[in-house]
Amino acid sequence: MGLFESAAARALASSGVFLFMTVLLIAAARRISTCIGLYSLQSLVITAQIAAVSRMHHSAQGFAIAAMVLTVKVAAIPYALYRIVEELKAPRDVSSSTSPSQSVFIAAGLILLSFFAVRPYVGVLGGDQAMLAAAVALVLTGGFLMVSRKKALMQVVGLLVLDNGIFLAALATTFGMPLVIEIGIVFDLLMGVFLMGLFVFRIRDTFDHLDVSKLRRLRG
Amino acid sequence: MIWAMNAVQVLLLILLAPLVRGVIARLKARIQNRRGASVWRPYSDVFKLFRKEDLVPASASFVFRLAPIVLFATTLVVAAFVPLLYGSALVGVTGDFVLLVYLLALGRFFLMLGAIDGGSSFGGMGASREALVSTLAEAPFLLALMSVAIGAHTGTIAGIVQWTVGQNFFQFSAVHALAFVALALVAIAETGRIPVDNPTTHLELTMIHEAMVLEYSGPSLALIEWASAIKLTVVMALLIALFVPWGMATSLTAAALAIAALVLLLKMAALVLVLALMESSVAKLRMYLVPDFLGVASALAILAVVFTALMR
Amino acid sequence: MTQVAFSLFLVATLSVPVVTLISRRWTKARALPAVLLMASLATGIAVAGAGFWDGQRFTVEVSQVASFSFALSVDRLSAFFLLLICSVSLPVILYSSSYIPRHYSGARRDWLWVLLPLFLMSMVLVVTASTAFAFLFGWELMTLFSAGLIVIDGDSEERRHNIFIYLLMMHAGAAAVIGAFLLFLPHAGNFAEMRASATLMTPALRTAVFLLAFVGFGTKAGIVPLHLWLPRAHPIAPSPVSALMSGIMLKTAIYGLVRFAFDFLGGGPSWWGYLALLAGGVSGLLGVLYAISEHDLKRLLAYHSVENIGIIYLGLGAALVFMANHAAVWAALALTAALLHCLNHAIFKSLLFLGAGAISDATHTLDLEELGGLQKRMRLTGAVFLIACCSIVGLPLFNGFVSEWLTFRSFLAGSELTDLSAAIVLPLAAGVLALIGGLAAACFAKVYGVAFLGRPRSHEAESANEVSWPMQAGMLLLAVACVAIGIFPGMVLGSLGALTEELIPGAALPQAAALLSAVLPWIALFVLVLVAGMAAFKRAKKLTATWACGLPGLDERMQYTSIAFSKPLRKVFSQVYKADRTLNVIPADQPYFPASISYRSVRTTSFERLLYRPGVDAIVAAAYRLRRLQTGNIQIYLLYIFAALIALLMFMRWV
Repeated sequence: MGLFESAAARALASSGVFLFMTVLLIAAARRISTCIGLYSLQSLVITAQIAAVSRMHHSAQGFAIAAMVLTVKVAAIPYALYRIVEELKAPRDVSSSTSPSQSVFIAAGLILLSFFAVRPYVGVLGGDQAMLAAAVALVLTGGFLMVSRKKALMQVVGLLVLDNGIFLAALATTFGMPLVIEIGIVFDLLMGVFLMGLFVFRIRDTFDHLDVSKLRRLRG
Repeated sequence: MIWAMNAVQVLLLILLAPLVRGVIARLKARIQNRRGASVWRPYSDVFKLFRKEDLVPASASFVFRLAPIVLFATTLVVAAFVPLLYGSALVGVTGDFVLLVYLLALGRFFLMLGAIDGGSSFGGMGASREALVSTLAEAPFLLALMSVAIGAHTGTIAGIVQWTVGQNFFQFSAVHALAFVALALVAIAETGRIPVDNPTTHLELTMIHEAMVLEYSGPSLALIEWASAIKLTVVMALLIALFVPWGMATSLTAAALAIAALVLLLKMAALVLVLALMESSVAKLRMYLVPDFLGVASALAILAVVFTALMR
Repeated sequence: MTQVAFSLFLVATLSVPVVTLISRRWTKARALPAVLLMASLATGIAVAGAGFWDGQRFTVEVSQVASFSFALSVDRLSAFFLLLICSVSLPVILYSSSYIPRHYSGARRDWLWVLLPLFLMSMVLVVTASTAFAFLFGWELMTLFSAGLIVIDGDSEERRHNIFIYLLMMHAGAAAVIGAFLLFLPHAGNFAEMRASATLMTPALRTAVFLLAFVGFGTKAGIVPLHLWLPRAHPIAPSPVSALMSGIMLKTAIYGLVRFAFDFLGGGPSWWGYLALLAGGVSGLLGVLYAISEHDLKRLLAYHSVENIGIIYLGLGAALVFMANHAAVWAALALTAALLHCLNHAIFKSLLFLGAGAISDATHTLDLEELGGLQKRMRLTGAVFLIACCSIVGLPLFNGFVSEWLTFRSFLAGSELTDLSAAIVLPLAAGVLALIGGLAAACFAKVYGVAFLGRPRSHEAESANEVSWPMQAGMLLLAVACVAIGIFPGMVLGSLGALTEELIPGAALPQAAALLSAVLPWIALFVLVLVAGMAAFKRAKKLTATWACGLPGLDERMQYTSIAFSKPLRKVFSQVYKADRTLNVIPADQPYFPASISYRSVRTTSFERLLYRPGVDAIVAAAYRLRRLQTGNIQIYLLYIFAALIALLMFMRWV
């Protein structure tokens, strides 16, 4: 293999590192646009991993999935979210209930937890330890974002990160799901973002704010 | 031969430090749409200050004039720890990272005392804020350096550099990535740049380092300014040497050294550009948000140390 | 030869009280007790030096004379601690020879000179005892004599309460220590027998011994949460006595723990080390955090003792973890670090307390907010106090740095272990130690800066004068020791290495320690040359007034106070300081200009509220209920006696 190939192979082998960095940075971020950008970066790394895996197995399906993820998760969804943020004209901070350093500590704890959780299964499932741990960490971080961030848009971003994590877990263990299922998931996501985009404007117009923690009418 | 090389490295660091500062200031000016002063301005500042006389408050004790000297001496010794062109340093075999951190702490301790000795509110204020920042920066500094040292199985800076040069460039290790970000954040706090401290302000709401040196003049101030320029250059050289040392000469031939010098120049230029861009685009943090900033650095450093054990 | 010298040392020290009582009336012989005590301490230093550097061993048997097993023996570990006691006490006694006559007269002075040598002798007894009885005898005497020395200074209600708490907690600790010794029965004759029988003990018994020893010696050493007596007892003692208590008495507890954990039990499972690491980390952090918020100098120094004991425990914990993982070389490094920190702390903490005594001698106050500008008036005191501050912060070229460096190195070595939890916990402990060091630097910058630098904040500080020459000489001796060990640590490290080799089988001091001894003199030489060169090159200086933005009338109250300096750190760590704040504002006619404002902030440490108060209340409640047993009726009492007799008969019958 040439220099580029070996370099690319090594870089991909340590892609777990990039994902951990994005997890920590998304926990520390204070603006919604930063979070969207980091999500886009995460999806780019995952695309690269899909491409590498498909190249290794010489499957055209894999490349199709990679192309789809590239267009939808790296380009379309972030672009749509950026447009929503601009149209809303609301304050752009994340409204977190934990300070940045506390969030980073919690994210670090979640990363360590995912490492320890994944340890017994590394041999059995046959994936790379770092990638599996990164997948679990993404899921947990997505959940953490949804719980601790009070802006409605951040719930969406949290959900997207969580989905990235599940996707990565599938990639790491079974080298991807069948094409049909992949397409289904991606379109579900697109629909979800689209609907959220509509609803965010309705919420803002009805309640004059986007703070999810204040929406408490639904109780017994 | 190696001694001469090491001595040359130290001299380079000391003599080129004001130039680095001048370049950063000029770049920032250009980015902010100003013309900016000449890049050689810090040199003329230092020469001018050395020719003036020392104004000492009547109530000050010997600590006031001793402090800049101790600061300068410790910064010089620290400059002897870092390899620049060749994988060795003047205090190479014994130049271990704990000694480096604590030598910097010695200089800073005396500067705080000198500030209080001035007898004004500014001195105490600067010293009190500096105490806050340096207390919280010391733990991530040590932990980040320790995580890199654990990977290299040695405690000396020169040893770590030699080990890293032997590694493959494309094998990104989680430990190094985390340690790099943590060290970069700590470096900003240690050298007093935006967003922790503004090195060019004199408003009492925003000063930390400048408040400590407000009473100083003449040769004492020259020593302090020069020492802080050396510290900035040394910290940048440390970041380069610990994380991207490839390109350093592995043999003492003229060709290898020339290439090493060129590569070093490029790396420093890149770092200077990043620093200038960041200082021009990020706002300075309110003082009680600085612990948060350093808390992020601590979390990353702790994670780096834990990873050294997990990723074995 | 050394045996004779040792006996001579013991006899000479014991004779000082007698000499004091005899020469009470002679005004010419006022200095005699001090001179005699210093001479005997010098003998003690020579004896201990022979034991420590040469490795000689000697014993003194008193069993023939007394009817119970009472023997003293000096091996390397005892010699090290004996050296610590004698070499730190000598400057302190030199200092006291001038301090005591200035502050005390008549009976109080005589009592001081009677109790001081007895106190020193009790500590010597503890570290050289080779039978359990002798050890415990000395242990209890230490408490009693130190309490007596505290009482000499005054008898007010608050002081009596503090002394009561001190005695109470010391006795509780002693009970635990006695329990630990008792568990060695029936072989608990002398230490050699205990060492031999420890190998035959079951793991459960060894754990019980370790825990009792940990709690008992921990109470004496002052680890959190058993530290409550330290900031109450140390500040109210006379300054030389505070120096001895904080510098030396706490180290006897470390001696006890090292004897039990390393010598008798020979190490144990990893969780012993983790327990010590936890205790050390928490003590270090909480000690220094409480110290930062203090502005009474002696109480601040007392909290710093808690912090340094925490650092020693970190070293001991690391050594125990290494021993459990069979890494003898690294265990030796960690143990050397802990023992060296004992010596270093004894030196610089005594120096700090003596300095505090000098400050109170010159200005009659120990409140930092009333001091300032003392460096210009008390040049030598200020200079040696600065050396002590640099040492306690752990800055290079002073002795505190060497022991902290060794501790860091042993944590770094922890990453080489195969056990995952040890490889994670030990390097992280380095972060805790770094945070402790940073906080200590902030605290002592405040102490030295507010007390000695700037301008005087009160009339007393303005009119301070340098203290008498014996006091200066005593402090100077300790300061020279700080710098000497800081620049030439090889002096002590070699023999400490031999000491740890005796305690930990198969150990050897690793290469790293030798490298530090090689580089420090060069760095010191370089810094000295640079400083001297620049001082020689100095341009003339011109004295002016401090810059006040061009306005006149900058006075000393505009400087930062001690409380102001520590405010940012207290705000960041506000979870630790839960203060009760009351603010009373009496408004006047105009808004924004009230007639008066009063602010009161009371801080009780959380341990008192959360741990001790509920415990004490529970015990008192139980005691009230037990009171019902004392009915006052004589027939009930007779019933108790007969019931006990019947129970005994049944017990003997059926067992």
